[in-house]
Amino acid sequence: MSSKPNKKLTKQEEILLQDFSRNVSTKSSALFYGNAFIVSGIPIWLFWRIHQMDLYQSIIFFVVMTLVSTYLVAMAYKNVKFVLKHKIAIKRGDAVSKEVMKKVADDKKMSKQEKEERILWKKNEVADYEATTFSIFYNNAIFLMLVILASVYILKSLSPAINYSLSMGVASGLLALFSTSSK
Amino acid sequence: MKLLLIVGIFSIFCVVLGTDNENARLLASKTILNQFLVEDKDLTVQYDIYNVGASAALDVSLVDNSFPDSDFQLIHGSLGVRWKRIGPSYNVSHVAILRPKKPGYFNFTSAELSYLPSEAATEPQLGYTSAPGEGVIANFKDYDRKFSPHFMDWAAFAIMTLPSLGIPFLLWRSSKSKYDGARAKKSN
Repeated sequence: MSSKPNKKLTKQEEILLQDFSRNVSTKSSALFYGNAFIVSGIPIWLFWRIHQMDLYQSIIFFVVMTLVSTYLVAMAYKNVKFVLKHKIAIKRGDAVSKEVMKKVADDKKMSKQEKEERILWKKNEVADYEATTFSIFYNNAIFLMLVILASVYILKSLSPAINYSLSMGVASGLLALFSTSSK
Repeated sequence: MKLLLIVGIFSIFCVVLGTDNENARLLASKTILNQFLVEDKDLTVQYDIYNVGASAALDVSLVDNSFPDSDFQLIHGSLGVRWKRIGPSYNVSHVAILRPKKPGYFNFTSAELSYLPSEAATEPQLGYTSAPGEGVIANFKDYDRKFSPHFMDWAAFAIMTLPSLGIPFLLWRSSKSKYDGARAKKSN
């Protein structure tokens, strides 16, 4: 078997694998965990100032629930991104193809195969970017809404420490749960 | 003979009672008007004095020594007040505003009243107001947590959430409009 066809297949395989895999790159992973950590830390302000939780006395609750929530919210980001990526790739496909073709139209040295690879790569990149940003926005909004709803309305009669633990746990848990649906 | 004795004692009894009814008779109540007693927040005490006797009460003096300086700060009014005269069937009120300095249980006891029941009286009549009883002065923190609107805190929270929501949304939106715009152009 010649090495050239293998090389072409390998690159396409790579792109396909990237497309269908739930694994995210290190950069994406860092982005997800960073955002999840920030959004998990925001409710601490809410509980410190509004529910009058003492910062130093409750530090263990804050640390533990922030870490648990960070993990669950990051998981939700990954799952939602994976589901959205395919939908976005289909929607943006034509526009991306047109843009790439416009750029490489004058380049006669490039083969049709290579142009198609470029289009595929660009589609993957755009879909990845849009899915990532939308997933972060969507999950952050739902998470904050659930925390506010749980802490201010549903669990308000409980002690602040229990209120915090349950609000964060329920919000991040539900987020992770709903993100695993295939829709 | 026996019957005459009984009637005689009974009539003297009536006369004594009747004489007593001609004097002033004051009934005094002390009420805490607050629904919640909270540390460092105003506490309103109302004293009401009713003259249910037949004549005016003179030199009426009401003194409340039941609020020690270590536990309460007087804000408005005074805890000692005098009236020259309270007519029969009249009533008077007095209000004082205090501020509890510490949280905890406090027993609200009676204030002391003294007055001359008639013009001829030389010795003042002493009495006490009603006592509101034991009350709980709540911690300011617990009260604030339950009742304060926390507007500034909510505003700060809203500002803190803006980057987490705004930045991803704007990034997604710019990408979407770039490619959606191109697609719309193509279909046109």
